[in-house]
Amino acid sequence: MDSDCLSLLPAVCLVLADPKQSPPDDTSLEKLLDWFKELHSQSNGQVLLQHQPCQPCLLEFISSVCTSKTTDPAILSFTIKLTGLLAATTQGFHLLDEGGLLVYVFEREAWGVCDLWEDASVRSGWLQGLLDMLKHQQALGFICGNGLIKVILQLQNDRSLFVACLANQLLVHILNFLTSSNMTSGSDVVGSSESSLRPDWVSVSSEIMNAVVEALSSEDCPQVLQGLRLLSLVLSQCGEPILSTLWKDVLVPLEVLVNRGSESLIQTLITVLEAALGTPLLNQSEYKVEELLEAMLGDGNRKECFQCAALIVKLEKCPEVLKRKAMDIILLPLQCVSTQPQAEKEMNVVLKEQLSQKASCISLLMQSLSSLAQLAHTKYLFEDISIHSITSSVVLLLRMCSGHRPSSLLHINAFTHLIGCCKVQRCGLDTLGALSVYEEKLDLRKDIFGVLLDYLQSPDSHATVLKKTFQAVKRWIVCSPFPDLLQFISHDLFPVLEKRMCDLRWEVRDSTLEFITQLTAALNGNSGFSEALHTSGVVSVLLSSLADAEGYVRASAVTAVGEAVTASLYQTVLVSNSKLLEEALVQMMAILSQDTEGFPRRAVVQAFTSWLKGSHLITALESSLSSVLSLGGSDFDWEVKMHTLELAEVLMEKTLTCCPYAVQNFGSSEETRFTQALIKLKDFGLFDLLFNSLFDCDRPVCEKACALLVKLRTLTAETADLDHSVLVLNVCGNRWGDEVQRRYLNKQQAKASGCVTNGVTGSDEGTDCDLHCSKDISLPKILQILDLDDMQRMLTLSSDHVVNSPRSLMEDILSAAQQNEENIVDCY
Amino acid sequence: MKLYCLSGHPTLPCNVLKFKSTTIMLDCGLDTTAALYFLPLPLVHSPRLSKLPGWVSKDGAINLEKKELLDLSTIDVILISNYHCMMALPYITEHTGFTGTVYATEPTLQIGRLLMEELVTFMERVPKAQAATCWKNKEIQRLLPGPLKDAVDVWSWRKCYSVQEVNSALSKVQLVGYSQKVELFGAVQVTPLSSGYSLGSSNWIIQSHYEKVSYVSGSSLLTTHPQPMEQSSLKNSDVLILTGLTQIPTANPDGMLGEFCSNLSMTIRAGGNVLVPCYSSGVIYDLLECLYQFMDSANLGSTPFYFISPVANSSLEFSQIFAEWLCQNKQSKVYLPEPPFPHAELIQTNKLKHYPSIHGDFSSEFRQPCVVFTGHPSLRFGDVVHFMELWGKSSLNTIIFTEPDFSYLDALAPYQPLAMKCVYCPIDTRLNFHQVSKLLKDIQPLHVVCPEPYTQPPPAQPHRSDLMLELQPPPMSYRRCSVLGLPFRRRYERIHLLPELARSLVPSEIKAGVSVATVSAVLQSKDNKHVLQPVPKPAPVPPSKKRKRVMEEPPEVLNPKPLLSGAVPLEPFLAMLHKNGITEVKVEETADGHILHLQTEDVLIQLEEDATHIICDHNEPLRTALRDLVLRFLQKL
Repeated sequence: MDSDCLSLLPAVCLVLADPKQSPPDDTSLEKLLDWFKELHSQSNGQVLLQHQPCQPCLLEFISSVCTSKTTDPAILSFTIKLTGLLAATTQGFHLLDEGGLLVYVFEREAWGVCDLWEDASVRSGWLQGLLDMLKHQQALGFICGNGLIKVILQLQNDRSLFVACLANQLLVHILNFLTSSNMTSGSDVVGSSESSLRPDWVSVSSEIMNAVVEALSSEDCPQVLQGLRLLSLVLSQCGEPILSTLWKDVLVPLEVLVNRGSESLIQTLITVLEAALGTPLLNQSEYKVEELLEAMLGDGNRKECFQCAALIVKLEKCPEVLKRKAMDIILLPLQCVSTQPQAEKEMNVVLKEQLSQKASCISLLMQSLSSLAQLAHTKYLFEDISIHSITSSVVLLLRMCSGHRPSSLLHINAFTHLIGCCKVQRCGLDTLGALSVYEEKLDLRKDIFGVLLDYLQSPDSHATVLKKTFQAVKRWIVCSPFPDLLQFISHDLFPVLEKRMCDLRWEVRDSTLEFITQLTAALNGNSGFSEALHTSGVVSVLLSSLADAEGYVRASAVTAVGEAVTASLYQTVLVSNSKLLEEALVQMMAILSQDTEGFPRRAVVQAFTSWLKGSHLITALESSLSSVLSLGGSDFDWEVKMHTLELAEVLMEKTLTCCPYAVQNFGSSEETRFTQALIKLKDFGLFDLLFNSLFDCDRPVCEKACALLVKLRTLTAETADLDHSVLVLNVCGNRWGDEVQRRYLNKQQAKASGCVTNGVTGSDEGTDCDLHCSKDISLPKILQILDLDDMQRMLTLSSDHVVNSPRSLMEDILSAAQQNEENIVDCY
Repeated sequence: MKLYCLSGHPTLPCNVLKFKSTTIMLDCGLDTTAALYFLPLPLVHSPRLSKLPGWVSKDGAINLEKKELLDLSTIDVILISNYHCMMALPYITEHTGFTGTVYATEPTLQIGRLLMEELVTFMERVPKAQAATCWKNKEIQRLLPGPLKDAVDVWSWRKCYSVQEVNSALSKVQLVGYSQKVELFGAVQVTPLSSGYSLGSSNWIIQSHYEKVSYVSGSSLLTTHPQPMEQSSLKNSDVLILTGLTQIPTANPDGMLGEFCSNLSMTIRAGGNVLVPCYSSGVIYDLLECLYQFMDSANLGSTPFYFISPVANSSLEFSQIFAEWLCQNKQSKVYLPEPPFPHAELIQTNKLKHYPSIHGDFSSEFRQPCVVFTGHPSLRFGDVVHFMELWGKSSLNTIIFTEPDFSYLDALAPYQPLAMKCVYCPIDTRLNFHQVSKLLKDIQPLHVVCPEPYTQPPPAQPHRSDLMLELQPPPMSYRRCSVLGLPFRRRYERIHLLPELARSLVPSEIKAGVSVATVSAVLQSKDNKHVLQPVPKPAPVPPSKKRKRVMEEPPEVLNPKPLLSGAVPLEPFLAMLHKNGITEVKVEETADGHILHLQTEDVLIQLEEDATHIICDHNEPLRTALRDLVLRFLQKL
């Protein structure tokens, strides 16, 4: 393949270098470059540089692009990147350097058109080229020798963010390269002192570092930001001695920035300090990493400190003391709003002011709540603060949001901001849910379920708030089943759920059904729960939800009913079970055959799959299975077909693999049992499904069917004495049958002609050799006829494998150029 | 300008505004909550109700606004803002000597008539016990049981009016359209504006040339069936009288509607019946529309809806013909042509059936489970009483209260113990406090007048400071029987100048852009319009007989003295004095100007901003000379 492509390369180069041609689109150039990169890395640069027609033509291409007066920026950018790629090996570097091409490419004064530098894609190509090239000492020498460092530093403040970012990466790469093993001066020098750098490189590193210091001391905010970004990159990617040298230099300006506390820099400063936390600098007190972080927090009296605290709380490697301090600060808004003001503790003036304005009050509370949730996710151990009081604060806050005012007088202003505020409600509910990990330390279950129930009952709860409430309820129920749980569920929860399933908003009905599904699944095996479920009115409302007007709701209802049926197996009183299953089956089959939307139909097939997996139900389901397989297999929706194949897979597993503990029928051998199982599958219509799907128009469906058939083939092949005569399939009158017959005939013909040419008249397979259409073929035979392995190989290739090759890419470029010419001819 | 507040009920207002020689009554709502003190009036004999310990006395249950405050016969016009606020009309127009006009929009009149007729039918179709009034005597009332002895103002309770009275009262109504300007005696102009609350509901603007009073009563900003509220015309009011805000500020109508639907569908799915006590017009249209959309998704397709009221048919049909009073979206349906409300389709497909009463067709076609809409929301009279008796015993059934006018617990009291489920979803689409404060910020009235309850949080939620009006300056509040002097003075009156008079004027510019002219004319005031006419010419030299009368001609024949304007500048004046030989002048500065003491002449000249005095005893020539000097600095008109 590659050699084909290489032969096309000269022509492509000509087209690309031709200024009269409009350049191919960016993605083609990118793809071409990717191919070069791949080729280069495979052969370590050998192919491109040694292949005869290629090497000179590439060099020619590069020089012509650079000197041309009418080069397109996209082509120039591509050329620079290509040059960088070629120069990544010392051999390539020398080749290009000897021809003076490197200077042509990377010295912009040498270009035919100097203005092209104004184009951001050219600048980014230039940086990318250097980055690619910088694999060896000569490259570094080239960069430093030609004063390119200065240009890179300038680009660091480029107006294009991509360019600036790339410049930073390049600078870090250079710094890293300076300290890497191939750059250290003597092999005898070990360690990380600065002396290990060769003196001529010291000036390079110090040039970069000085630039960082200068940027940080600048008054210009964007410049400071770029400096900080570079600093954080260096901290996270470079090692000693760069780290400590740079840190020593930037410490002073950094302190100034931290103390100034400008709002726009907070995020980036924290990123820098976070990166510093991950380095050995943290443990050396003279580097003041911790001190700086602490200074960011200040005394909690600045507007920005809450944002800092929220960021610091999230840091992974943060020292404990600092984290605790940040936590104290970030929890302040929550506590101020929901606890009584303490006489001896004067309330923070800044905080008071911020809480009195609606917008800032809400954002502060949300920061507070989400930080708390984050800490809870890591199961953070609160030491100074009682988790009990925090949780009751959250509960109180949620109550305030729904208009209940606490008995004692609090921050009255905040209260009016909060009534009906969905944002705080959602955030608060998330946090309350997250706090369930501290369940054993809390004695607040009554309050928590009280407030959650209030939210579920309130007619004003927004649909999204209800969804969050359901999530929180689930987390609290699941975290530890408590003694009155069933009482709570059947007396308090179920009536609300019944009402919510009749809600006006379909979103609410949907999330209620999802919640019931999750709850049923989570309490699977709890016989008390399933009894409560089936004796309440919930199940009947579930069944009627199957006829909801909204497709999503029907789908959720199907899943919920499926789960309820599964749960009914754990119920001790089995009387109503069969009735439920019966009714569910009738409605579900109606959905599968008639529903106009895909979601409910998919859900039905999935419900069957999960029932089958549960294994208890097989006999009850048998009557419906064949209809499910045939309806699902002929559905218009490819996902329904996929799910049907998954169902088929489970069915195959359940039927074919022998259960070691099952009592075997007396006298039945392994073989007959297997044959019987296959017959059963045939009766279900499973093979029809698989073969039909194999020739489906949707590739994933074919792939899945093919995989299942391969599995089946293996199993049948393993069983030697399979009785073929009982496993005969009718191959007439359907699409897959025609295909099988065609292949069958083809094979027969080939065999027959083979027979003739070999001069053998007899046939060892007797009657099989005649070329008549055969109506019935046995299953193992069909599996042999179909070249499943080849089909599987073809199917695994992605659908665009033909058009995605480098060859077609090059041909496209060439034909586009030709087209262009023709067009010109047409026009004139 | 005065406001007499005859009703303290914030949503059933009755105020009288005296403004520029007109007396305008703003609404006359009827508070029927007193009905709750009475036992229900069953259509069918109910052994249970008759066994209840009670006082047999049927006076009707009417709470009339206080009328001792002013003589109702002096009222010139009554402005009605919506059909709920006109239910007391017969009491005012029929027995008080009222001779004025009532202004209302057409839907308000028609639906108001329906509601009155319904009320009368409800009252008249049950056999009446003897009227009893003795118990109202304070001495006896004190001995009565239960809540009755605590009832206040029982003397103001009145017997329900009759159909004749309704007809007579409504014959005094004159119809107006939105934005139509109606002149009242040339003194003020009144204009109804759409208020968005119900079909034909209006706010009123009452304005003279220089004053504007807005009356906002029962308005809504929600998108329901009526035309949206017109806000911009309310701008620049001197006084805004604000009544009829939502009675349930904590219940959001959308949430309540959702609650209504889910409870309804839950009950039906469980095989129970739903009873909705409601008025026969208003929210019921929205409920039906919402159910129309909800029915299919909730599988209520086959459940019958019954609407039982003596005026059910008219109400449903009237709603469809008032297209011009509906919201845009419903109006445009009329051009398709389609009925604007979907209940037409419900009726067509037999999902909604309406009957005048439970007797007759209904009893034969009645099928359960079903949903019944019927009145009266107080549960004291109307067909709802029958359904309470019928369904109250089963816990499968649900009663859903949607009207906010009555306490549902009080309404249910005589039916206890009750097994049926009770759901309270009051749907009140009127403005809430949040919307009002936004509205007021927008229209910026100088003064706001409102019922007292709006100036403090609801008594049940004393901490909800968001559920009250907080304004700067604070609103003026009233309670029943208050008389408010509205806080603005009339300072100007518009006077027309006849063209010939205007032509005779000689304006002279006293400073850039301001010209002044003196006018001599005759002011004629007629029908509250004022016109300046030229002074009639003195009659041509008359024959001797009329000489005497000529002598009696008004004095304006004499030319008036010229008017002076300008100021006397100190320095030039001193120079002028000097020039005229007055040299010894002592100048003293005062708060208003200067005092010049001409020492030799012993004369004082006080120069003030708006006056100049020359105090000069016994020297008339000098005074005249000085006066002429002063006049030199002033302009004459």
